[in-house]
Amino acid sequence: MAHLVELIDVYKIYGEGLESEVRALDGVSLSIDRGEFVAVVGQSGSGKSTMMNVLGCLDIPTRGEYLLDGADVSELSDRQLSKIRNKQIGFIFQQYNLIQSLTVLENVELPLIYQGIDPIDRRDMALEALERVGLSGRIKHHPTEMSGGQQQRVAIARAIATRPPIIMADEPTGALDSHTGLEVLAFLQQLNNEGSTVILITHDNGIAATARRVVRLSDGKIIDDSPQDVDWYAPVKKD
Amino acid sequence: MNLWQAVKMAWKSIWGKKGRSALTILGIFIGIAAVMTIVSVMDGYKRAMLAQYAAMGTGMLNVSIYNWAYDDEGNDISKDYFPDLRAFCDAVPEIRGVSPQGRLYNVAVSYGTKNTANMQRQYDDMGNPVGDFPPDMYYGSDQYSACNNLKLARGRDLAALDMSKYNQVCTIGADAAKMFFGSSNPVGKKLLVGGTGYRVAGVYASRRTENSGNVNSNLDNFIVFPYTDQRMLGGEKPSEFVIKLRDSDDMKEVKTRVNGFLKGLVPNENFYVYSNDQWQQYEEQALGMIGGVLAGIAAISLLVGGIGIMNIMLVTVTERTREIGIRRAIGAQRSGIVAQFLIEAGMLCGFGGIVGIGVGTVGSLVLGKLLFKMTIYPSFPVTLGAFSLSVAIGVLFGSYPAAKASRLQPVEALRAE
Repeated sequence: MAHLVELIDVYKIYGEGLESEVRALDGVSLSIDRGEFVAVVGQSGSGKSTMMNVLGCLDIPTRGEYLLDGADVSELSDRQLSKIRNKQIGFIFQQYNLIQSLTVLENVELPLIYQGIDPIDRRDMALEALERVGLSGRIKHHPTEMSGGQQQRVAIARAIATRPPIIMADEPTGALDSHTGLEVLAFLQQLNNEGSTVILITHDNGIAATARRVVRLSDGKIIDDSPQDVDWYAPVKKD
Repeated sequence: MNLWQAVKMAWKSIWGKKGRSALTILGIFIGIAAVMTIVSVMDGYKRAMLAQYAAMGTGMLNVSIYNWAYDDEGNDISKDYFPDLRAFCDAVPEIRGVSPQGRLYNVAVSYGTKNTANMQRQYDDMGNPVGDFPPDMYYGSDQYSACNNLKLARGRDLAALDMSKYNQVCTIGADAAKMFFGSSNPVGKKLLVGGTGYRVAGVYASRRTENSGNVNSNLDNFIVFPYTDQRMLGGEKPSEFVIKLRDSDDMKEVKTRVNGFLKGLVPNENFYVYSNDQWQQYEEQALGMIGGVLAGIAAISLLVGGIGIMNIMLVTVTERTREIGIRRAIGAQRSGIVAQFLIEAGMLCGFGGIVGIGVGTVGSLVLGKLLFKMTIYPSFPVTLGAFSLSVAIGVLFGSYPAAKASRLQPVEALRAE
């Protein structure tokens, strides 16, 4: 069976041919199967954010093949890429990326609106997602009225509202205190236990240790890719 | 994403920046108000003009014969052309009637305490005549009423015998009757004209219609004397005549025949024949031109307003680059982003249009009263047109910013602060 995600010799090069060219991804090959919990770890500038953008269909690689569920992403139209981001992938960002002018409920409903789900079902699905993150009491609030941890939970609710097979989290704990950060990580583990494929991008080895598999990036190259044992119910403390 | 969602989003965004939105639509609202006022006032004036032409009657030929002659002492010894013209017209079946169209000035008319010598042509702020207003005085034939679209309300009309016998009679318009005689019946009563008694033979019904406004305040305020009374009352022999046709379609042919007849009658071709339809056409043309120029000026203000919209939408797109990135990341299509900004621009201008329509309606009413003493409401097509125009401007000038927003790469948009 095909891998869920497969990168084959992928390059992302900025300013190719110039003296100042930057190889954010320098011949990366990686495959991830359904149900995996993978942490991509690297220092800043290692190319991990570029990898996440490529994996999340937010950016197109300069060279190489990216197969998502067996389909070559480079051959897809903008419209099809939008559909993939909408249905296959749930994004969780470091800066939450909530829309400030919308309420919590409206933020969570947004991907469902773009899916064209009718208002009643949409509301139910969004409320269910908010209940899972423990925020069903604050649906009328605006993101600015909430703490960082709460905002990240709204972002998680938005990511899981469409029940996507893949969750991509880019430094999800980066802007949070350690306690709240651990809660978020525990939640990602729970999603993984329920069957979602989770891809976690971080610079923090302690956080990466919560994943079953760690991929280390440096200078746009994978330098280590190894599975590890994880105690699911007691995530490793942050350093 | 459905339309209703997009409309709701656009509304939130507009309402979220009330002050800025209000300033943005200022240009559109002024432009729409100006266009609406101009178009509807022009429209109203044209309707009034047409109503007035209709009141005076269509299918009329005006004849001018300027072959005056004087003796050594300066007395008018011009020929009276009317009998010949009358005889000709009677023989043409397409002609309904013919009458001299002379005016009588500077002769006082009185009845009881009402005396035109004491009356002044005064108007109030709205241009309506104030108090008693001196009537216009005309010389006419027994066919004057037929030529001027007049219907008898009381008594009898002028008759051919009144001309040949130099009878001292007259007929009067509805307003003149009211002014001199109040509610009593004028028929048979005598008006003193220049000291001589003239019996009122008949009263005409009002020609005023709802649309005629005050464009001609003396439409019903006049006295008609048999043209032969000119011998007693003064003035020169008639030189202006009016020929009324049964059907204005025959205008061209009858005009040619009248011209031919007059060539044989008047020496040196000292005459001129013109149809009032011609004047109407000229006036409509002139009006259309003025309206076009004014509407053009207003359209420029709309253009400026549109550019303002484009400018502010570009700012909005820049400000919301990150939001666009987020929306794209969670699945918005390019078309969804385009729709969002187009609807926002269209709605913004639509609101401007609605305010503009309100102000334009008030403007039409006020200007209509001030300039033409008429109640002018913008017509429904004008209103609908103004609204559609404002939305169209929003969509037109919003399309560049919207396209720009949709072309942002998700990953770059997400990086924006």
